[in-house]
Amino acid sequence: MTAPVGIAAVDREELRARISEKYRDVAMNPELGFHFHTGARLARMLGYSNEVVAALPAGTVDSFAGTGNPFLFGDLRRGEVVVDIGCGAGFDALTAARQVGPEGRVFAIDMTAEMRAKTAAGASALGFANVEVLEGFAESLPVADGTADAVISNGVINLCPDKQAVFREMHRVLKPGGRIQVGDILVHREVPQDAKDDIELWSG
Amino acid sequence: MGFVDVVMSNEVDVFSGSKHESDAKEFDTRGVTVYARKPATS
Repeated sequence: MTAPVGIAAVDREELRARISEKYRDVAMNPELGFHFHTGARLARMLGYSNEVVAALPAGTVDSFAGTGNPFLFGDLRRGEVVVDIGCGAGFDALTAARQVGPEGRVFAIDMTAEMRAKTAAGASALGFANVEVLEGFAESLPVADGTADAVISNGVINLCPDKQAVFREMHRVLKPGGRIQVGDILVHREVPQDAKDDIELWSG
Repeated sequence: MGFVDVVMSNEVDVFSGSKHESDAKEFDTRGVTVYARKPATS
């Protein structure tokens, strides 16, 4: 696919509301089943180790809905500052928090209140004091310039109409030399513009 | 501005067996993980 990444003509606020509604269900009722995989089965598909899964609270695992595995490119390092964009129920944020240790810090950002609550609950259950859970959007992160050693994200950018804005924000919050380790989805066949502009197709 | 040293992981058929498997197949949709770095100097 060689066409430039454009901005889909969907109402951003309506899209955010629909996505939040969907992921509220993923947080509160993971047993419902969704059009995408969730939970431990998905984590195994994406190459997370049994040790990583076992170290997390069951509620965190049950509501996992990623599409990649940020840790494929290596664990985070002790003392690092990490921003997790769209932390969901905290599967990656809490894994990151364990890796960076008490000397490090994880900013876990999500727009869905119920997901933020699950991340906070998971951090509390694990005794992690190095996780700060924040309300925010991928296109306008509540993080200062040059804060992070690493930005992680998992299955979030595909839900954002303005992907370039998301990457600008990732770049902004990173320290010089910092890195992104992000999971998402890609397509091998062009999605027609009318499909990109159809809000029904975004959140499923 | 921009990222350098971009690396992509192997792709995963992340929708295989899901309710949206057929929709995902229409565009050959795969899960992937990407690494990239912000240059140390701008």
